[in-house]
This record gives sequence, C-alpha cells and structure tokens, in this order.
Amino acid sequence: MKKKLSSLFALLVIFTLILSACSGGGKEKASTDSSKGGEENPVKDRGNEIVIGVSGDPQNWDPIDTFLLDWSTVATSVFEGLVDRTIDLELQPGLAESWEYLDDKTLQFKLRQGVTFHNGEPFNAEAVKFTFDRLLGAEGQKGPQYSNYTSIESVEVVDEFTINMKLNTPDPVLLTKLAGYGAVIVPPKYVAEKGDEHFNNNPVGTGPFKMTSYKRDQEIVLEKNPDYWKEGLPKLDKVVYKIIPEASTRLAELQTGKIDIMKRVEVSQAETVKETGFLELQEVGTPTAFSLRFDVAKKPFDSKEVRQAINYAVDKEAIINEILGGYGKPISTFQSELSFGNNPDLEPYPYDPEKAKELLKKAGVKEGTAVDLFIPGNDGNFKEIAQAVSFYLEEVGIKVNINTADSTTLTSDLIPNAKAGHMYRQGWGGWTLDFDNTAYLMYYEGEQWNPSFKNEKVEELLEKQRASVDPEERKAIFKELTELLYDLAPELNLYSAVDIYAVNKRVQNFQPPHEDRMRLEEVTVK
Amino acid sequence: MIAYIIRRLLHTILVVFAISLIIFFSVRLTGDPVSVMFQAGEPTKEAIAEVRKNLGLDEPLYVQYGIFLKGLVTFDFGESFRSGMPVIDLIKEKLGATLALAFGGMAVAIMIAFPVGIVSAVKRGTGVDFFGRIFSLIGISFPNFWLGIMLILIFAVNLKWLPSSGFESFKHLILPSITLGMILSGILARLVRSSMLEVMNQQYISTAKSKGISDFAVIIKHAFRNALLPTVTFLGLQFGALLGGTVIVEQIFSWPGIGRLIIDAINQRDYPVIQGGVIFLAVIMVAVNLVIDLSYTLIDPRIKIGGSRS
Repeated sequence: MKKKLSSLFALLVIFTLILSACSGGGKEKASTDSSKGGEENPVKDRGNEIVIGVSGDPQNWDPIDTFLLDWSTVATSVFEGLVDRTIDLELQPGLAESWEYLDDKTLQFKLRQGVTFHNGEPFNAEAVKFTFDRLLGAEGQKGPQYSNYTSIESVEVVDEFTINMKLNTPDPVLLTKLAGYGAVIVPPKYVAEKGDEHFNNNPVGTGPFKMTSYKRDQEIVLEKNPDYWKEGLPKLDKVVYKIIPEASTRLAELQTGKIDIMKRVEVSQAETVKETGFLELQEVGTPTAFSLRFDVAKKPFDSKEVRQAINYAVDKEAIINEILGGYGKPISTFQSELSFGNNPDLEPYPYDPEKAKELLKKAGVKEGTAVDLFIPGNDGNFKEIAQAVSFYLEEVGIKVNINTADSTTLTSDLIPNAKAGHMYRQGWGGWTLDFDNTAYLMYYEGEQWNPSFKNEKVEELLEKQRASVDPEERKAIFKELTELLYDLAPELNLYSAVDIYAVNKRVQNFQPPHEDRMRLEEVTVK
Repeated sequence: MIAYIIRRLLHTILVVFAISLIIFFSVRLTGDPVSVMFQAGEPTKEAIAEVRKNLGLDEPLYVQYGIFLKGLVTFDFGESFRSGMPVIDLIKEKLGATLALAFGGMAVAIMIAFPVGIVSAVKRGTGVDFFGRIFSLIGISFPNFWLGIMLILIFAVNLKWLPSSGFESFKHLILPSITLGMILSGILARLVRSSMLEVMNQQYISTAKSKGISDFAVIIKHAFRNALLPTVTFLGLQFGALLGGTVIVEQIFSWPGIGRLIIDAINQRDYPVIQGGVIFLAVIMVAVNLVIDLSYTLIDPRIKIGGSRS
C-alpha cells in the first residue's frame, strides 16, 4: 500500500514538474507579448558588424568541390563570377564589363580592369583561363560542378583583359550559370602555390568580403575587403556566421542578441518572432518546388485521367494555408514563378472532388484501390502534408499507404530505380531559375530521376528549346511544353517553398535572398 | 600483466578488422554519395557516373576494400568526399570538443548521482530515499532534446546567465554538460544505491560498525569503496559511448563533436568519414574496456589480472 501511494506521489511530482515547465514557456510568451515593441534590443555594442545564424556548414569552400546552398550563402560574399546575378535575380556585369557572341559558338568577354584578389593577386584573363581549365580539368571532374559547364570547350586569352569562350554547343542557360557556383573566379598563383587542400579551408576571391577565419562546424568570419572594386562598398566591417543546426537554438541565440539574422526560421517559430519587438520577420519566395511524382509505369497511374483526378482531388490551397501557415505558393507545373519558362496563364488544378470521382470512375479505378506513397523520413512538415493528401484521396476512394525512407536512400536509390511506390515526394532546387534543367532531367527518358515517364512530343520540345539562345523563341516553346505537361500531369504539384528569415531591427537594408545567396554589400547597422 | 595487455591488443586488431568489414559493406548497401553532392544542382546520369569514376567508386568492391584496409594499417582513413580533408584530421579537430563534453557530462553525473545514491541507500525507506528515487526516475525519463531546449529557454533566454550554444569557453560547456549529465545521473544514482545496499548488508560492515568507527567512515571507506566496482564498469562503458553518442546534445548546443561528424557523414554517405569515425570509436571502446579491467586491480587488490595468477 505504502509503495503504491509513493509511486502515485512520484507520478504527481513528475506531472507538476512538467506542468510548471510548460507554464514557464507560457509565461515567457506572455512576457514577450506585453513588451511588444517596447522590449529592449539585447544587441548593444557590436559596432559595425553583424552575426548571422545559419543551419549548415558546407565543409569545403573550393567552388568546384561543392554544390550546396550553405556554400552559396557565405561564398557569394567572397567570390564573384564574370556575370553577376542581383538579389532580384537580374543578370548584370560582374567581373566582366560586357560580353557578346562573336558567332554561335564563341562568346567574348571584356574583363574589368584594376580588380585584385584578397591576397593582392591581379584579376585578369589568365585568372579566368586558369579557373575554367581547373573546372573542366581533372580536379574539377572529381566534383559536382563540372557537369554544369560541359558546354564550354575552352577559354582562350585574347589580351590581358579579353577572353574568348569557345562552346561546343549552344547553351541558353550559360550566362546564368556563370553567375555562381563552379564558375566563380579563383586566384591562379594562390591555388597553385598553396594547393587544393589549403584552398578548401582558406578561400580567396575578389568579393566584397574576405574570409579571415574558418572553424569547421562552428563559425566563419568575413572581413571587409578594403580594395573592393565597387566604390564605397561593402558598408559593414565584419560579418560572422555561426553554424547552429538546431532551429530552436538559432531562435534562442536571436532572442538573446547573440545573432542578428537567423536563416531558416520554421513556420512554428514565425509567431514568436513577430511578437518580439526588436525582431522583424522577412519572407521570400524560392525556386524550390515540391510535388508528388507519379510512377507512370504502375497502375493505376499509367492513365492520364487518373493522374488528373488526383490533381483535382487534393486541396492544395488548404495544405499551403493550414500546414505551411501560408508560407508556400501554388504552382501549376513543376517550377516556381521565378523560373524562366513558368507559364502564368496556367492555373493550378482547382479542388474539385466530384470531378475527381467522375474521372476515376471513367478510368475504371475501383473504390478502395491502394497506392504506396514514399516520403523522406526526416521532414516532419512534409509528413503532415502526406497525411493531408492521404485524407483527400481517401475521400475519392483511393487508399494511400504512407512509407517513410531515409532521404538519401530515397533520392539516390529508390527513385532512380523505380522502387519508390506509386508516388513519391520530389523536391527540386531549380538553381538556374530556368525550366530547361528541371524539365530535361525530370521528363527526358533515361535521366536519373525519371524512371518511367516518356513522351515524344515533350522530348522534342525539350531539345528544341535547348538548341536556341533566343529568349522569345524559348518562351514560346516553354508555353507549349507547360501546357502539354499540365495535361499529362506526371505529378501532383503542391507548392513552391517560401523561406523565412528573422532579422534584428538594428540591421538595415537586408533583403532575404530567393536562393540562399545572401548579399551583404549594402547592409548597414544602426 | 604485460602478457595480458599484449593479448588484449591482439584481440583489438581482430575487433577492428571485423568492424572494418561490417562498416565497409554496410554503408554501401543503401544510397550513393555522389547524387547527394548535388543538393543545389541537377546532375545528369552521365555527370553522376563521371564523378563516381573519379572517386574510385566504380571499382569492384573487393578492390575498394583492399585500398581501405591498406590505408587502415598506416592509420590513413582516406579523405572526406565532402570536405576533401583527411579523415584523421577531421577526427582530431573534433576530439577536443568531444572529450570536453564527455568529461563535463560525466562530472555532472557523478556530482549528482554519488551523493544521491549513497544517501538513498543509507537512509533507505525514508523520505530522502524516496526523493532520491524519484530524482533518478525523472533523470531517466527526460528526453535530452527536451531537457536541452528547456535549459536554453530558462538559463539563456529568460535568465540570460549562460550562452545557449557554441564551443568557446567553460561557460559554454555548462548547459550541454548538465543535459548529458542529468540523463546519466538517473541511471547512475540507481546503480550506486543498489550496490551500496548490497554492500551494507555484508557482515564486514556490521563488524566495522561494531568496532566503533564513525558512521561516515564506515559508509565511505568500507561500503562505498566496495560498491564502486560495478559503478566503475558502468561509467567506463558510458564514457566510451559518450564519445560518439551525444549527437542530440551536440545538435542542440551546436557542439562540434564527433557524433555530429559521423551523423552528417552518414546522411551524406561520406564513406571515408563514416569508416574512419566508426573504427576510431571502436578502438576507443576497446581501450576503455581495457582500462576498466586494469582499474579493478586498483579498486580491489584481491583481483589479479592475467599471467600473475600463476
């Protein structure tokens, strides 16, 4: 009896403890509520510098060794390409002042004069040639960047500030690709003398900031490049990136003033940020699109009507509003509105369960047909979305079994080998902001992530747009292609992602980037 | 004794060989490191094949294993696919942070669990014992991600006493150590209590008491020292586990430790880092076991090890 009583008491104590801990959280919320707008900014004497909390460390700063968003977040401030893509995604001259096509396969660049690398080395035609020789040579071929630039045959030095880029095939997306990642210009002498391993950890470029310290998985320090070629920029003296993988810890660091900008705010954290007087929430659309792709080799999704029916059966808007808290944008094909080739005239399939039922009946799909859906196991938010989809499909008589898989296994093994059930989550970065890459790799027969889809007209259009460098012509081809893909419905298009940033109000002129490439030259503090 | 240690070292080589086989083939069962490298990009099939070839991943598995074994003999685990750094350097980089956290966690656990366990045992059945037991129950049941986040909210965000993350100073070590130590101390306190109870029932304790030695001296000198044996075994094994198994705490507190290194490597299928990391941990585990066994002779002089028996 005594024992029973004591264990009951033990339970009570634990319960009270948990309750008090929870109410502690509540109290905290209340305190931020009451102080809305009036709470004192915890950042006081940081001077002319900012600290940014990011979620990941790319581990390697050599542009040809990585293809990670975490790299571009920092490296955009260190390295520059011949072409520059502004924060609003406009192409403009970068390290090249101008360029022109001499013929179909020769692109001539006039280089900017008087630019130096952070180590004092001069930027010139030799540096450009070295960069591309390295990218397209043995060292580059070990990394993920090489394949982006295979349309370049060679780079020839014309004079100290002119180069000719010889192409082996027209490449409509080349200029965009030259604005980042593997094509940023590296210092020849430095790389040759110090070696690749040193360069991995001590990058040197021509950008507005130079990297002065890198502690792996901890922090990266950038300092102002006093010799930057853009007059009067950058305005900050120093930028520190702290690597904080856990979102709740990043938020805690922001609330305590240890960081000024938080990348990757979660939907569930948005309210807390809004309620804190000295913080500001900023959102920005990204090129990343999410869909549930059908394996069209498997019944019943071999039928176009069935695939369309699924598109009618799911209320995408409700998913965006309820599960994503409004932080998502509807899409009609597998690309965001930022992508060249997006067709704004196409409306996403409306939510119409009656129409869905009708189409399913016509296609002869029996009530209670079961299908397998595969999603990555590490994405809690998407699991909720999958459950919502399963609910909507149940309403029209299709039973969905949700399977979770390790995300690496899913993308690198299950999807390419058609082992990911009847439908699976497909997420796509779209870094070139052009439908070319996405559509080609998604819908051309035999590509890595296209285990079963095949349509001759689609392939014909894909080849046609790739052979042309005329934007108007390509636009017209993409219009036809998107209409066709909309009708063929190879996937259930869900949304394009919206990124959320939280910023301390002492930071001025910060604009959240669409594709993780933070631009900090114009940022100031008050 | 020397013969014993040599035998144990040979044993270690066998263990490492067995682990190298298991880890080498098991990491290659699912997923492919090359397609994960292209997170932001969109590679063609040819591009992926090309990179695989350049990394030597298209060689037959037995050839790759041979290369790996050859490196192993010279302590060369190869280079990380992702960072291009030698794996051994990556491990060295993380070792300081990992050791600091492991020692911090153990220290907190010992500071809490020893007094709680001893008092619980000595005052068995009283209110003190009862609270001691509840305390260990709570320690065991708290998930450490929850505890970690709560500690951050209370001590960093609300009270502003301590920093919430990073590996910079002693202050930064406090919250992660408490998170880790709390969980450990729950189990440890129970262990100390039960082995103390066992010892306290022995006749030599009654003898000691009857000799008129003070209660405190009986408890510490006679009872606790004898109760220490199972505790040391437990602590030793836990210490080995702490070196690689504190991923959640490392994640919450942005602690640059070996656990995170290995988990990130697994997610990226960075084969050399996974292989090197796991083998490193295995060697540490074996070494810790050896040290525990040797420490028995210090705690209990009656225990003789190996050859000296004859």
